[in-house]
Amino acid sequence: MSEENKEKQAIGKGVLSILWRIMMRELLILRRNHIYRFSMVVFPILVMIFFTSLMDDGLPTSLPVAVVDQDNTSTTRVLTRRLDAFQMSRVVAHYPTMTEARKAIQRNEIYGFLYIPKGTTEKLLASRQPKISFYYTYTSLTAGAMVMKDLKTISTLGSAALGQATLQARGFTDEQIQTLLQPIRVDLHQIANPWSSYNSYLTTMIVPGIFMLFIFLITAYSLGTELKFNTSKEWVQMANNRMVVAIIGKFLPQTFIWLALVYGYEWYVFFHLGFPHLGSPWMLILLGLMQVLASQGFGIFAFGLMPSLRMSMSVCSLWAVLSISMAGSAFPIMGMDAPLQSLSWLFPLRHYYMIYQISVFNGFPLIEAWFHFAALCAFLLLPWFVVSKLKNAMLNYVYIP
Amino acid sequence: MVKDEGVIIFFFVVPLVYPLLYSWIYNNETVHEVPVVVVDDSHSSLSRQFIRMCDASPDVKIAYYAQDIDEAKSLVSRQIVKGIYYFPPEFDTQVNRLEQATMSVYCDMSLMLAYKAIFQTAQMVSMEMGTEIKTKLGGKYTVHEEAISAKPLAFDEVPIFNPSGGYGSFVLPAVLMLILQQTLVLGIGLSAGTAREENRYGQLIPVSRHYHGMLNIVLGKALCYLMIYAVMGAWLVAGVPRLFHFPQLATWQTLLVLMIPYTLACIFFGMVVSCLVKYRENVMLIMVFISIPLLFLTGVSWPQSNIPGFWQGASWVFPSTFGARAYIRLNSMGASLHDVIWEYRILWLHALAYFLLACGVYRYQIYRARADVRERLAEKKEQARRTTG
Repeated sequence: MSEENKEKQAIGKGVLSILWRIMMRELLILRRNHIYRFSMVVFPILVMIFFTSLMDDGLPTSLPVAVVDQDNTSTTRVLTRRLDAFQMSRVVAHYPTMTEARKAIQRNEIYGFLYIPKGTTEKLLASRQPKISFYYTYTSLTAGAMVMKDLKTISTLGSAALGQATLQARGFTDEQIQTLLQPIRVDLHQIANPWSSYNSYLTTMIVPGIFMLFIFLITAYSLGTELKFNTSKEWVQMANNRMVVAIIGKFLPQTFIWLALVYGYEWYVFFHLGFPHLGSPWMLILLGLMQVLASQGFGIFAFGLMPSLRMSMSVCSLWAVLSISMAGSAFPIMGMDAPLQSLSWLFPLRHYYMIYQISVFNGFPLIEAWFHFAALCAFLLLPWFVVSKLKNAMLNYVYIP
Repeated sequence: MVKDEGVIIFFFVVPLVYPLLYSWIYNNETVHEVPVVVVDDSHSSLSRQFIRMCDASPDVKIAYYAQDIDEAKSLVSRQIVKGIYYFPPEFDTQVNRLEQATMSVYCDMSLMLAYKAIFQTAQMVSMEMGTEIKTKLGGKYTVHEEAISAKPLAFDEVPIFNPSGGYGSFVLPAVLMLILQQTLVLGIGLSAGTAREENRYGQLIPVSRHYHGMLNIVLGKALCYLMIYAVMGAWLVAGVPRLFHFPQLATWQTLLVLMIPYTLACIFFGMVVSCLVKYRENVMLIMVFISIPLLFLTGVSWPQSNIPGFWQGASWVFPSTFGARAYIRLNSMGASLHDVIWEYRILWLHALAYFLLACGVYRYQIYRARADVRERLAEKKEQARRTTG
């Protein structure tokens, strides 16, 4: 073995032992400061439990609705009873006038009401096409949409039931009646999420989004506190002034904790709670890894750009909160203005969400999401640009409160 | 306070800029022209009419024609289209044979709004064409009779309050109220953290002539925040909705009456929280992530009637829950103050309770600062005695 090789090997061994020592030092820091325990374990788990238990039903059920029945005949009462039997809505009140029903909506007691004017049955028997109406509020979009669906169905059904009776009297067969009532039927296939459960829509984007928020913040925080508690010089010198080694050593223990958290979440949500996913478990593992690494990359980059604890943390938190809107899960990106569509590329959560949606939720091959995968890789490599700046900051800056 | 960048960001920049950003994001309100691929195995005039009518609707755009389902599926997987309309070969024949024809809709379920647009458009078109076919089949004598037999019971669909079903008009009012609370708490927490760190002994309240009397300190600080947030609050609840044409039904008097207890409650809440943080950064770690669960607890995204009791209870701690509910109902639904009296009373209760709590924690802080000084003084005296003695 030549001298050169030996030297290299020695350095290699040296790097490993340096890494080990820095990692041990980091673990000690993580243990000593309570804020890490809370932000890396307690809060994220709390958030996860919050969202999964909040939307446990999947779809909101038994939403309060009312009926304004000014006709009050057996025909209209049947209609009311049928509405009450629906899963989404529950008839909680009867009001004599529309004004009172509207006021009940304003008092937040009901989300919508069915209005049956006087003389409906009479007109119906005389086949003079009476008109009923349903009113619903869209100030809560989910509740409004659900109530609308039920009210619409009951109105259509009411119409159909009457038509059916007339047609039967004329001697049509059941099949013919069905055709006459609804000549074209829409057969709906809800790919991957046949329950259209809101839990699997919102939880799978918001919880990883909040995890990312914590990763951003803790990454910036752990760098900033090196300056704040005046331990930065010691840290860099431990790595023989090699910044890359110092960074890897510092963040590797955190990476493992985050990975445990993310995989725990994925297990809980996709396997324990059985959220719909057509992609393979390997996809989930890859996605979790990329999520953690890209977020850490972003956090280090943010701190490298502004080596001040307060500025980098402010920017990280604002960015992370904004990214929940910019992920385009609740309100799609394609509905936003063109500049915003391009800006959405700057948010790691957007790429995470796209990969999740394409390769996990729908189970398409990763190649269809290659762009978003590459983008997450780019976030992971971002710290490269700020390594020298970071080193300068760690060795020369003084913390100003 | 003015010299502190962090406080400046949360007291001035965020309340001014964030609402603009959110309004911009949600300003288009609804999704239009969702791209859909058609697989037409029927090749009939009926299926073509169906496709034309879907394309003519505002929500859906027929972007591609595919030869078979597999080709259509690959378009979905590449995210080029969001759904598939499939017409089977017997689509047209069935209608002519007096059988029920079926067309299939395959939806990519990853976007709720896109799914709604695709499905509802198909349903609407099928109903419209159905009525047409029905009248043809029925063999009635007059046009009026045809209309009645097709639909013996007519119905009207009336969305009230936010009639366009816009996403921005629905989520933004709650977001605005939440921004007010969160920025206040973050700002107060950060400035308290700074005060502690700048103080030589890590105390929140310095022992000096300016800081005399617990009530003076609490009220003095609160008044300062109130002055800033009188402006910010006006901008958030009156300026931004006007600028972006979100529904605005409340008069400025009603809004003022609502905002006074809400802002006060938020200020005292922030002061209580600020006493709990040791380092300035910790408040960020605690308060930022809470914003999103808080938004859900206001009951806009997920109906209030379906929030589990335990979380309902937890939401009672935060002024934003009641502030946002009252604001939405006053401003988006045109309710009177009488309709939100329950929320309104709780807001005053919050303001009072958090004021008393703030007084309590400040008194404790003052006590600690004094005790600290006394201790150090005693030490010094001891030292002096030893050196002289």
